[in-house]
Amino acid sequence: MQLFRYSTSIYGGSDVLIGASWDLLKWFVVAGAVVIILHAAVKAVTSR
Amino acid sequence: MTVSQANVSMAEAASGRIRRHLLVDRAYHWVMAACVLTLLATAFLPIIGYKFEWLGLHWTTGVVLSALVLIHIVRAVIWQDFWAMMIDGADLRNGWRHLARVLGRNGAAPGLPGKYNSLQKLYHAGIAVLILLIVVTGLLMLLKIDTPLWRRNPYVLADYQWGWIYVVHGFAAMALITMIMIHIYFALRPDEWRLTRSMFRGWITRREFEEHHDKQRWAADEC
Repeated sequence: MQLFRYSTSIYGGSDVLIGASWDLLKWFVVAGAVVIILHAAVKAVTSR
Repeated sequence: MTVSQANVSMAEAASGRIRRHLLVDRAYHWVMAACVLTLLATAFLPIIGYKFEWLGLHWTTGVVLSALVLIHIVRAVIWQDFWAMMIDGADLRNGWRHLARVLGRNGAAPGLPGKYNSLQKLYHAGIAVLILLIVVTGLLMLLKIDTPLWRRNPYVLADYQWGWIYVVHGFAAMALITMIMIHIYFALRPDEWRLTRSMFRGWITRREFEEHHDKQRWAADEC
């Protein structure tokens, strides 16, 4: 899994950083889902 | 509290309503929500495969969001109670006591919050940082496109500098999705419904105020 996106330099040098990797998008969605599920579970347990 | 409990009777509501959000603040919240959702949709739908001409709507909505954020900052500093949203010592103490209770430890009960509880303040701080990062980097990125108002000039920064601006914009935008998910989850929870209702109608009942808030920490007005 890559953190960044790169493009090839038109001058033939090293790759140029062009942004964040969109492969990470799903992990941010997963993080939100994890927080929601954890909070709902803790609330369900502590409110008994 | 259940949804039915939150839907208080007209008699109770009429007998004591505490103003929580002015109309201008509710309007700000919903226009900002529309802007953020439009920006996320125009940013990420093309990435996940729904191709359309997204750039025009994205940058114009971004300019509107930037103006809204500027208005909000000025309003919060000059006309609103700026410190009501800042985390203070009582919030830290209450947060620690809440955590101790969740972990099953005994100890002093957490006190009631003022207008906003510590998690709401923490959330606001987080989303403020993300939105400011997105706005600043987004405004810089406007230098890379032609618009009716200006011509593009991408040469003000080097390639690697633009790269980092896009990195920050992208990471903050993806983190915003996480934050929006959490925000909508809390807005839909029945035990938080009074707060969601107050973002539509502007008020909570006096009973809700007394159950959930410390009147020493929130000098609320009736409405």
